[in-house]
Amino acid sequence: MNPPSASHWFETNPLWFKTAVFYEIHLRGFYDGNGDGSGDFRGLTEKLDYLQWLGIDVIWLLPMYASPLRDGGYDIADFYLVHPDYGTIDDVRAFIDAAHERGIRVIADLVMNHTSSDHSWFQESRSSPDNPKRSWYVWSDTYERYQDARIIFTDTETSNWTWDEEAGAYYWHRFFSHQPDLNYDEPAVHDAMLEVLRFWCDLGLDGFRLDAVPYLYEREGTNCENLGETHAFLKKVREAIDSEYPDKVLLAEANQWPEDVVEYFGDGDECHMAFHFPVMPRMFMSLRREEATPIYEILERTPDIPANCQWGLFLRNHDELTLEMVTDEERDYMYSEYAKDPRMKINVGIRRRLAPLLDNGRDEMELLHAILFSLPGSPVLYYGDEIAMGDNVYLGDRDGVRTPMQWTGDRNGGFSRADFAQLYAPPLMDPVYGFQAVNVEAQLRTPSSQLRWLRRFISLRKEHPVFGLGTYEPLAPSNTKIFAHIRRFEDDIALCVHNLARSAQAVELDLSAYEGRTPVEMFGRTAFPRVGELPYLLTLAPRGFFWFLLEDRDADGS
Amino acid sequence: MPTEADLIRSIDDDALSDWIVGQRWFASKARDVTIGLVEVLVLDEDPPLGLALVEARFAAGTHDLYQLLVGPGDLEAMTTPAPARALARLLTGEARVQGEHGVIAFHWSGEPLAAENVRLLGAEQSNTSIVIDESAVLKVFRRLEAGDNPELEMVRFLTSRGFENVPALRGWYALEGELLDATLGVAQELVSDGRDGWDMVLETLATDPERALDDLAELGEVIGRMHTVLGSDITDPDFSPDDPGEEGLALLTATIDEEIERVFLDLPADDEALAPIAGRGEEIRDRLQLMSHVVVGGKLIRHHGDLHLGQTLRTPDRWVVLDFEGEPARSLIDRRRKRSPLRDVAGMLRSFAYVATAASLLKGATVPENWEATARERFLNGYFTEVDAGLLPASEAGIRQLMAIFELEKAVYELRYELNNRPDWVPIPVAGIARLLQEPLT
Repeated sequence: MNPPSASHWFETNPLWFKTAVFYEIHLRGFYDGNGDGSGDFRGLTEKLDYLQWLGIDVIWLLPMYASPLRDGGYDIADFYLVHPDYGTIDDVRAFIDAAHERGIRVIADLVMNHTSSDHSWFQESRSSPDNPKRSWYVWSDTYERYQDARIIFTDTETSNWTWDEEAGAYYWHRFFSHQPDLNYDEPAVHDAMLEVLRFWCDLGLDGFRLDAVPYLYEREGTNCENLGETHAFLKKVREAIDSEYPDKVLLAEANQWPEDVVEYFGDGDECHMAFHFPVMPRMFMSLRREEATPIYEILERTPDIPANCQWGLFLRNHDELTLEMVTDEERDYMYSEYAKDPRMKINVGIRRRLAPLLDNGRDEMELLHAILFSLPGSPVLYYGDEIAMGDNVYLGDRDGVRTPMQWTGDRNGGFSRADFAQLYAPPLMDPVYGFQAVNVEAQLRTPSSQLRWLRRFISLRKEHPVFGLGTYEPLAPSNTKIFAHIRRFEDDIALCVHNLARSAQAVELDLSAYEGRTPVEMFGRTAFPRVGELPYLLTLAPRGFFWFLLEDRDADGS
Repeated sequence: MPTEADLIRSIDDDALSDWIVGQRWFASKARDVTIGLVEVLVLDEDPPLGLALVEARFAAGTHDLYQLLVGPGDLEAMTTPAPARALARLLTGEARVQGEHGVIAFHWSGEPLAAENVRLLGAEQSNTSIVIDESAVLKVFRRLEAGDNPELEMVRFLTSRGFENVPALRGWYALEGELLDATLGVAQELVSDGRDGWDMVLETLATDPERALDDLAELGEVIGRMHTVLGSDITDPDFSPDDPGEEGLALLTATIDEEIERVFLDLPADDEALAPIAGRGEEIRDRLQLMSHVVVGGKLIRHHGDLHLGQTLRTPDRWVVLDFEGEPARSLIDRRRKRSPLRDVAGMLRSFAYVATAASLLKGATVPENWEATARERFLNGYFTEVDAGLLPASEAGIRQLMAIFELEKAVYELRYELNNRPDWVPIPVAGIARLLQEPLT
């Protein structure tokens, strides 16, 4: 039985993603519905009411496909199966349906660049040079090709080529050696991947986060990233999706500089969304330095994007806090400030969650959320950060930021009814971040909790489409501790002022363009003095912020 | 020479825009709205009848969708019998009309009707109604939302299970389209010998308050049976009873708690009517927290969603429950959600408070002092004898507290509404909230 199409639940709106709040979920860690120690689709379905209450619009699922799980599921062994720990295709269907019924859309990770070495395609490919799938991967007699391509997983890999005994050849891989890259010069690979997309669209998915897209093609003498052929293929994908399915979204993961990332939007005919990676570390940098310049600078450096496209913005995600898109000097600074314990570093980044990064400072967490929500783009939240969960730096790889969601103060943090020893990873139990101190149940009951605050904040942002659709106009006051800007969409004008300093600050803003308007604080609906001829003076508490609507009260006749 | 079909299609954008924003049922009071015609489907050429899908786009980037039934050069065709008869015939004839953005599909069930004789019902707030052959009444929705309208779903479900206290479903028509799937209209059996339940109780209160109590006890039984039926089918995913889920109650409590905070934030300081609850916001919130602790078990089911006396009809031999659309201000998704059946019960109990005050305010009646308390008791006794106990929390205290939580939710909503719209009625929700504060907790 096919689920009702999304048009049964939503009115068609091709730009729905522009005003959406995303919520990223590590399925294994969210909720265990069948008591086997690992989160699954049935468990996630049970928690949809919670997510609806929180107010998010889109769930982004990390890969749930069949996989040997040597890279958290990004090593896909079969695109048409769900990993048995997570459930069955029918469970996925029921979940998507239940989410749609609550007005929540669902997108999922899809890795186009490579497969697991366990995938039958690779097994066939390596079996003989005459196998029809030989050309589906990138084989070579020498490891000397494409030497200008950097190595991404510097902690584990020494080359992008690995020798395969069975094939008698080297195969190309931009990530782990157990993840051979698919060969996009082979047209059959295009067709195979489009079939995969159709299968999941038919099942009801509302879109895909395309993992590792810059690396689809290899060309000698280039760094093998962001090549023209890659963009041509993505346009082909977009065309196929647009013609067959309404209202889907393609979200590119391209950890690149903004001027390179905008290429992934094409002329509005490639990906609908792309993550803005470089702004993320700069928010943390600005906070630590008490200095807004890094944020202003990166936004200054960010080109305009087509009107039907959107940035994806985030504070933290399932990966390390990546520091690829900063200068060496900035990276040293970030390491010294945010990764004092060397165990916290991984690859080119820091493997910690939001709360520990900010020393569990409530003001700091609120301030960073405010900045995130005020920027042009759609915010992507990471599961657990809404209750300020911590991390476990002693777990390997990036598993430390993927521990079980803390639902209650009961056994296993309410995550699973399985024996503790059965859990895929231990829940946090330390006195500060452990499930007895930090959990959904307690925060639901406490009106002043971070969870309840964030819910109010999400609903505030969603009341004002200006944050998704509006312009970004920096104000850059002379007090550089203040990040202040205007968002404007038609008649809606929002003024956002954030104090990055640990101390109270006064700031004078040039609001001459808005003379006569009345700033109305958005949370409490308190009217502030009208904007006059002089610079507008505001005072802000340490790490405080104000969001105003600049209302034209005269025009309203009140 | 233009055909009738051409004339139907020739809608002038400016005229449409001016006309629609002047309509009472036009939901938005926003100043900046752009009206655009999505499509006009010609339903019939003789007599000429068209269906226009109209989009209202707002500056903030959102939009609403409306259905208009139009004639040649006429934006409101449902003022004369001929086009109404055409619509009725399409319905009873199960027509299908293909448009650019989808199909309009008409459905009819039960006895065929000639649809000779149609009567248009006076202007309702949000919908137009057409009485067909004095046997069925077709409600035409103006504002459209994606998904099955709960009115259709609920009445279809209850009718098919033999529940006799709703007007039986006779037919419906819907848009099945790429833009959205939406219910456009629903036809039900015409209840010709019924009186509005609110009016009936209001008047009886002035003359014979005791008799009103008997009627309310019977109404309790009807609502109890209705919930039992609504929670009886585990095979239909849209109706099968759900477990509340671990956070269910906490999510509900947190939501109401926020609402209380917001309402008390805006509470005027100098209103004497507010004296019984003034400054007691924190106390109410603490109380809410304590109430939520004793509630365990029960089920979530589809329910009426906006139940009060005004949604009932009293005929000589039965109560009839009407209008399953849910609270119009809530989104369709929200209105289709399963919740505890006690939410309906709380809505009805609040309505008793209103009717008692209204009887003295509007009719000058002297309502016996304990009338509301007795009415509650009689209604609840009737309800509990008929409702499937498995749908309710496990303990009596749990039932009482969950009901109180829903009553509080309702009263807080009323308080905000009355403060904004009818200051004279503010004492009603105030008394309701004050009473909840006095009740014992266990």
